[in-house]
Amino acid sequence: MYRLSKLRFGFPIGLFFWLLIDGTVSQVFSVQLFRTPSTMVSHLVVLWLVCGAIFEADSALSMPLARWAAVAGAVFDLYYTGIFGLYVFIFPLVIYMTRRLVSWIRPNFLSGLLVYFIDITVVEALGYLASRAMHLNDASGNAFLVNTLGPTLAFNLAMFVILYFPIRWVYNWLK
Amino acid sequence: MQKFSFNRRLVIIIVCLIVSFALMTVSVAIRNKKSTPPLVQQFGNDIVGLVDRVVAIPSNGLSGSVSSISELLNTYQENQQLKKQVSELAQTKVRDQTLAKENKQLKKEVSLNNSLTDYTAVTASVITRTPSSWQNQVVINKGASAGVQKNMPVMSGSGLIGRVAEVNKTNSKVELITDNNDSANRFAVSITTKSGKTVNGVLSGYKAATGQITMNNITTKAKISKGDKVVTSGLGGLTPKGLYVGKVAKTTGDDYGLSTKLYITPATDLSDLNIVTVAVTKS
Repeated sequence: MYRLSKLRFGFPIGLFFWLLIDGTVSQVFSVQLFRTPSTMVSHLVVLWLVCGAIFEADSALSMPLARWAAVAGAVFDLYYTGIFGLYVFIFPLVIYMTRRLVSWIRPNFLSGLLVYFIDITVVEALGYLASRAMHLNDASGNAFLVNTLGPTLAFNLAMFVILYFPIRWVYNWLK
Repeated sequence: MQKFSFNRRLVIIIVCLIVSFALMTVSVAIRNKKSTPPLVQQFGNDIVGLVDRVVAIPSNGLSGSVSSISELLNTYQENQQLKKQVSELAQTKVRDQTLAKENKQLKKEVSLNNSLTDYTAVTASVITRTPSSWQNQVVINKGASAGVQKNMPVMSGSGLIGRVAEVNKTNSKVELITDNNDSANRFAVSITTKSGKTVNGVLSGYKAATGQITMNNITTKAKISKGDKVVTSGLGGLTPKGLYVGKVAKTTGDDYGLSTKLYITPATDLSDLNIVTVAVTKS
């Protein structure tokens, strides 16, 4: 029962914690992450959301993930980018996609890695297309693939490998 | 039934797309035209900023202590080098004081209250950085209550790093000059060449591959050479005169061979920012 579990408060707290950690990681390791021309973008909040969807399918517990994803997206838009209306739609889309994918394949560490790969690609690609449309950058498609998508995928998949089991432990503890 | 649900999904996707683009367009328009964001956004950002400080202060402190340990290793060499510089600096500082005093007196004589070079510095620390590769922004811990206004220039170390893009009550966003959007790095600058001529222009972009600022459409006959210093000219807007931007790294002809294009090496490392200074001009 979601309403009676610790997840009811634990999940949003974790969500905001990882949301703020994303910015802190980008600030503290900015020399390593934002080394021109290639940039690695940390998406730990997406990791928390995707893990939520995976463990939800694993334990037959239904959580209001899409709603919280929209809230996290709204905070991300207002606090980090200052342009409202992008991540507020992308984060729920990630939840929707992950739920569809894990309904087809049995979620475990390796399939989770593949699902996360797809999610990060979608997040970055939609972010790129929207910022191109809004004249926020002038990078070409090639530059996006080589300088942003590649390093970002490498960084986030490494983070998935490191944090999957700790996050699963936290979810199990909160359940 | 299957067909109906497919259509409904398509409608939802299209509606979401339209709403998303409408919201983004409105917020970009507000950001470009208004001096402060809407009140709800300001309030929300202030609260998130407060919470973020709780998360950011321990981790920034930790990274500070790690870097101070690594700095400890080459302290001896650095100390020797710095000792030499300090003795020179003391002389420059005294001379600077005398000149500032003289300048003040002379200004009084011609009853000139504020000139383009006058500004007060507001020091702020960086709370967090936008985790995005399209918006090179940092959030600093000073806002409207400390006198920060939109479009004020921000410096770190020895040079210009960007401008204030959004002001809340207790924090504000700084758009770095590495950001390649339409308005991020259009600073009016001037270059004094070796022969003493002044060339005015506007910064036009950032080349990520080499980490250099570009400056287009210069039609002067004056010869600009490598190593010439680029400073803000104080023309237009809130930027005071004389903020150091960087040094000229390369001069080339532009794509059509009609004007000159400059590449400027920025004065500060733009990826490593902890403490920044906002130049507050009296207007």
